[in-house]
Amino acid sequence: MPTLHIINKAPDHPRFSACLEALAEDDSLVLIENAVAALVFGELPLPTCYALHQDVQARALSQSAEPAVKMIDYSGLVALTETHQRVVNW
Amino acid sequence: MTQTTPLSYTLVITGAPYTSQAPQSALAFARALFEAGHRLDSVFLYGNGVYLASCLATPPGDELNWTQAWSEFLMETRTPAVACIASALRRGILDSAEQTRYEQPASNIAEPFEMAGLGDWVEATVSSSRILYFLPTD
Amino acid sequence: MNTLIVIDSLPYGDWRGREALDMAFSLAAFDRPVTLLFRGAGVNWLRPGQAADQLHQKSVERNLAAATIFGVSTLIADKAALRQYRLPSDQLPEAACETDLTPAFYQQFDSVVAL
Repeated sequence: MPTLHIINKAPDHPRFSACLEALAEDDSLVLIENAVAALVFGELPLPTCYALHQDVQARALSQSAEPAVKMIDYSGLVALTETHQRVVNW
Repeated sequence: MTQTTPLSYTLVITGAPYTSQAPQSALAFARALFEAGHRLDSVFLYGNGVYLASCLATPPGDELNWTQAWSEFLMETRTPAVACIASALRRGILDSAEQTRYEQPASNIAEPFEMAGLGDWVEATVSSSRILYFLPTD
Repeated sequence: MNTLIVIDSLPYGDWRGREALDMAFSLAAFDRPVTLLFRGAGVNWLRPGQAADQLHQKSVERNLAAATIFGVSTLIADKAALRQYRLPSDQLPEAACETDLTPAFYQQFDSVVAL
């Protein structure tokens, strides 16, 4: 069963690496709140993931978004929780 | 518009307002849930999240009052909201029953929040189709 | 419904772990299967010889000793973190076992909760 992982911690928080270690191949990852800083955090090999548009814009990170990161809004986040029966918050 | 079967959600908030973004993100998510036609079974405040239920929070006039924003949303949508009683009592959030029980000088829980035990959360893990946690960022 | 409750911060410095433990005990009280994971800095919960009275706090070591009595079936320690924090396996509580944290480990549980 694919899992939706939602993380709100900055990329240098221990929770962030713990989350990446728990990520299975068909899982999805959403960056919200402080986690959107992962868009510019150099050393991090970021998997294909989503980022919450409002949190990215508020922190002036939209120019830095890699193509591997898809921007979503809250309705997009709700839609992801519809398609994933299992949600883990980090 | 894609038509999906409505789901039922419980949101657990464990980050305090003005300390974390958790109550804000949770409210934005809750609004989007209703727009998508889903049901919000309940909101459960746990740990520092119980500070959201304090009616005494008095932010400066140019900052949003998150307790008020949440209270209005909960009443408009008739969503039950509970502050965990163990978390709340420790942190000085009381309803009038607890005020009387512990002979405290005041109570401060904002409407429509109620106090209940973790049993409500256990129940939600079984009865809601999704349970999401809005956590502190530290 | 098998729930994994994660504790990943040190004891006594904040209340997050205690409140996570309360969640585990509540699930157990309602006969829901629950497992506790001590991850990262959280493995320090398992260190023997804690003197919490020095801080006028209740000992989490004693709380944990009661976990199996209250029906929390398994205590699991993050193997890598045990090494990082120099906590030898033979010092762990009897009910505790070690594991590598892989996607497959987390997938055993219907729900994963970390405060």
